[in-house]
Order: sequence, then structure tokens, then C-alpha cells
Amino acid sequence: MLNSRKQNMERKDIEIISRHSNWTEKGIDKVLKEEVYSDSKSWKGFLNLLFISLGVGFTVSGIIFFFAYNWADLHKFAKMGLIESLIILTTIAVLFSKLNLNVKNIILTGTSVLVGVLIAVFGQIYQTGANAYDFFLGWTLFISLWVVISNFPPLWMVFLILVNTTFVLYSQQVASDWSEVFVFSSLFLFNSLVLVILHLLLKFRNDIKVPSWFTSILGLAAIVFSTIGIIIGIFDNDQSSFLILLLLSIVAYGAGLIYSFRTKSGFYLSIIPFSIIVIISSLLIKISEDAAMFFIVSIFIIASVTLLIKGLLDIQKKWNNGK
Amino acid sequence: MENDINIRKNIEYIRELEGNSFKFNETEIEKEYANSQKEKSSIAIKILSVIGGFLATLAFLGFLLIAGLHDSEVGLVITGIGFTGVAIWSNVEYKKLIIDTLSVSAYAIGLCLIASGLTALDVGDHTVCILLMLISLLTIGITKSYILSFISVLTINGCFIYLIIDSDVHSLIHIYDAILLVLLTYMFLNEAKLLADKRLPSKLYNPIRIGLIISLIIGLVFVGQRGIFDFGIKHIWVSSIITIPLTIYLISLIVKIIGITNTKSLYLIYSFSILFLIPTAISPAISGALLIILLSFLVNYKTGLVIGVISFIYFISQYYYDLNFTLLTKSIILFVSGIVFLLFYVFTHKKLGQNEEV
Repeated sequence: MLNSRKQNMERKDIEIISRHSNWTEKGIDKVLKEEVYSDSKSWKGFLNLLFISLGVGFTVSGIIFFFAYNWADLHKFAKMGLIESLIILTTIAVLFSKLNLNVKNIILTGTSVLVGVLIAVFGQIYQTGANAYDFFLGWTLFISLWVVISNFPPLWMVFLILVNTTFVLYSQQVASDWSEVFVFSSLFLFNSLVLVILHLLLKFRNDIKVPSWFTSILGLAAIVFSTIGIIIGIFDNDQSSFLILLLLSIVAYGAGLIYSFRTKSGFYLSIIPFSIIVIISSLLIKISEDAAMFFIVSIFIIASVTLLIKGLLDIQKKWNNGK
Repeated sequence: MENDINIRKNIEYIRELEGNSFKFNETEIEKEYANSQKEKSSIAIKILSVIGGFLATLAFLGFLLIAGLHDSEVGLVITGIGFTGVAIWSNVEYKKLIIDTLSVSAYAIGLCLIASGLTALDVGDHTVCILLMLISLLTIGITKSYILSFISVLTINGCFIYLIIDSDVHSLIHIYDAILLVLLTYMFLNEAKLLADKRLPSKLYNPIRIGLIISLIIGLVFVGQRGIFDFGIKHIWVSSIITIPLTIYLISLIVKIIGITNTKSLYLIYSFSILFLIPTAISPAISGALLIILLSFLVNYKTGLVIGVISFIYFISQYYYDLNFTLLTKSIILFVSGIVFLLFYVFTHKKLGQNEEV
């Protein structure tokens, strides 16, 4: 795709030049099509990906709905046998077919969802309840080997969502004496640890590639958990482990900021300070709920976000010049 | 500097294509490049400005409510006009990204104050709406800034939706959707024309496009399968009269880009597409979201693509969730569609693979 772009012009270049010239519509159109728009090859790739994802997605949801329909006549062995054979068939396809690796990974992701269906049907037959935490625990455990082997980012995302869900359900159903802050602290700790491991892997192993959307979602999740946890802690004095969360967050935020400066990435530099701004605002409201305080908070948010953006712009400028 | 060399190279290239009639203002181009280097706005900064502005607005409105300052209606309107004025003025005066949060909050607070003040003064809702739309239009015309234009586009469309709901003419949402669909498709497909036309400020292209995408998705939510409006499923399909032909038209463009000319393949492609689109006719939101996906990919616009994909998944799930069939029928429909898509995949994989070799 790269070699078909002759000039490496971006949309921004075209906009700026067209603004200050008499560049004709035809000319702009030609350059846009050559340099910016998707060409034949990228359309082919996109359509392939679209169809295989829609295909696997629809087929798997069809299977889910099929088993959600309460089959009174079907014997329990038949029900489970059907899904199990589907799982075996798709796994064989992944193992022995000559399909392209991406397609195999998408099929394996579909199969991992089928494992969830299998456990759900098991739960349906033996009346264990639809959202019992052990349901998700089993699901998580059974697909973990595939997750590791395929190393497919969307499947890893499914896996991490399952781990988080299992933990939340466990805290609600079994460990109901845990404080909310403790639950959020643990979620924060877990997701941050995964993030740290990922960044270490990226640094020391050149063969490992993690897409940036993956680390961004993970980082965002971790920071949302810590922010919510701290806000609950601020408004509810009876929460245990609030101090631990506070310490953990300070360490993690510090590490995140240092990491951003070293790697010149702006993502954590925008969300970490923003989390701090939100936390300070709720602290201010905790101190007083007077009208004046709301006024101060609104001024504080405008001022701090403005400063933050100014800081981000300055840093960007420095990074660009330093290149 | 590396940057200057790049500008020269690009301009040289365009001159080659355009011939001697190509004239440009080099100092202005360099100035804007230098500015854009200094003020390199990322999507993160834009989101920060909008969310920060939104939170500050909430806090400020909380302050007004608690302090009881909303008792004087005329005062509210005057303060509101003041805030809006400051927002517009600061944007014109300092064309800097760092004041975005301030102007977003001032603007939003201003509009809220004007609206609540006028409502309290017993000015009718519709007059207030039309007034807000006029202010927004003026703001776009005067400031031409990214963030205020974006918010103004949302305000204008929000007012339209409010007018439709408030007047109990729910079917007009189809007209709203139709206008936005046609407008957006036109904008996407005529980017060059709009950039070349000197009567239109090209700086407005990006904020209006993203504003229209979000407004369209809000409009589409109303024509999702069951819909938020309770006007019966009978009428929801009406928007499909626009979405499906537009999607087919877009497919015809894509087919040309890929370079498929074989008549048999073309027949197959169009019949498959119609086969997929017909069942979605009862939920136009699906084809609407698909249209956004295809348009965004066509012009390589990533933000639009992400928004399109997310809303597509949402509308599809809503569709099946709401269908009045037993789970078994739903399962069969889903399963069959899945197999059809897998067949599409096999088909495109094979066909397009062959094409590449030619």
C-alpha cells in the first residue's frame, strides 16, 4: 500500500495548500485519491476482514440463540454433544487447514465464545444460574491456552474482560464483605500489572507486537478503576484499603508519567492528569457543597484542563523539535 | 528545515500536475504549516477540551442552582449573552487551542442560560430553539474554529430533534435523517470540490463532518428497530428509502475502485448486497451505520470508521434483541446470515485474489 503513495502527502497537507492556492477541484480530487483515499488493495483487505468477522460473529450468535432457546425435548447429552462437536470441528479447522493466520485467529475467537456457550448450557441443565462467577471462571480457564497460543489481540481482550468480569462477580456473590474500594483497587492493580508486563515485553522482546489500541484500552480501564475507587473512598469514610489504593495510584501514575516522557507518547500524559483533576474536583465538593464551591470547581476545571492542554502542546513541540 | 523541503516537494508535485496556471501564496502556506506544527492538535486534546468544558459547565450550573441566581430571568438571559459573546470573541481574538476549554464552557453555559432564562420568561420553546440555532449558525460563520463549530452543529441538530419531539410530529425524524444522510454523503464524496471552492471556508470541513456524523447517529437511534418513539414499527422502515439506495450507490463506487468489470461478478455482488440490505429495511439504522463505515473507509477517515463500527454493532444487536420472533427463529436467521457472510468471504477471497494476478 505504501509504494502506491507517490508523495506521502497527508490530508492536512492537501488542505493547507488548497487553502492558499488556486488548486483546481480536479487536481485536488486526483491527489486525494492517489495519496489519501483507500485504494483497491486496502478495500480488498477491508472487505475480507469485514466478511469473515461478520460471518463468524453472526454464526456464533446464531448458535448462542439456538441454545438459549430452552430445548425441552433435546437430551442433555445431545445439547452438550452438539456444542462440543462444533468446538472440536472449528479447532480442527484452525489446526489443520491452510487458511490465513488472521482468519484462523478469528475462528478461534469464535470458538472461545462457544466454550462460554457450552458452560452456559451446562449451567442451564444443572441449574447453576446464568451469571454465577464460576461460570466465567471456567470459561476464562478453558480458553487461556488458546489465548496464549494464538496471541491474537482481540482474543486477549476477550480474555481480560472475562478475568475482570469473573472477579467482579466473585466479589458480589462470594466475597460480599469486600469494600467497594478494595474491589476497584484490585481491578486497578490487575489491569495496571498487565499493562506494565506488556510494556516490559515490548521493550525487551523485539518479536512481540502489541497494537496501540490494546494498551490504550487497558490503560484507560485501569485509570477509570482507580479514579472511581478513589472518588468512592473520598465520599465514603468507612472504606477499607483506601490508603492502599491512594498509594498504589500515586506510584502507578508516577510511573505512567515517567514512561510517557521517556517514550514520547502523549496518551498517559493526557489521561493521568485528567484523572487527577476529576479526583481533586470531587475532593473539593466533599469539603463543601456550597454554591461558592461549585463555582470554584468550575473555575478549577477550566483552569486546570487549559493548563494541561498547554502543557501537552509545549511537550509536543519540544518532542517535534528534538527529532 | 525538513519541513520546508517537504512543502516545496509537495508544491512542486502539484505544479507538475496543474501546469503553469497554478498559483499559490508561499508565505501563507509556510505560515500555516508553522502554526500547525506549533499547535498540533491531537484527538486527545480535542476530547479533553470537550469533556473538560462539559464538566465545568455542569459545576457552574450547579453553582447557579444552589446560589438561587436563576431567580432573575432577565439577568439569566443577559449573563447568557455575555458568556456566549465572550466565547465567540475569545475564539476569534486568540486562535489558540489552549483557550478551547474556556470557550467551550463559556459557550455551553451561555446557551444554557439563554435557554433557561427565555423559557422562564414564557418565551415559547420553539422560539428558543430557533434562536439557539441562529446563534449556532452565527458562531460557525464568525469563529470558523474547530471546537465551537463542532458544538454548534450538535446544537443545531439537537434543536431540530427537540422541535420534532416537542411538536409531536415524530415521523419528521425521517426527513431529518434523510437530509443528514444526503448531506453527509455529499460531503464525503465531494471533499475536493468543497476544498477547492473558495467561497466556503475549508477549515469548517472537518468539524462539520464529525458533527454531522454524530448528529446522524443520534437520529438513527430513533429509527433503530423498536425505536425510542412509540409510533409503531410500521413507519420505521421509511428511512430505508434513503439509506439503502445510498448504500447501493456507494457499493457501485467501491466496485469501480476495486476494478471489478466482469458482468457475472457484478450481478452476484449487487444481488448479495440487496439480499443483505432488504431484511435490514425494517431497521434503517443498520444500513445508515453501514453507510458511515463505507464512506469513512472510502476516504480513509479513521474516527468516522470507529464511530461507524461501534454504532453498527449496537444497531445490529438492538435489531435482533427487539425482533418479535422466538429465539429459535432468530437463531436460524442469524446462523444463515453468518453462513452467507462466510460465503461472501470465500467469494471475495477467491475473486479478488484472481483479480490481483491479472
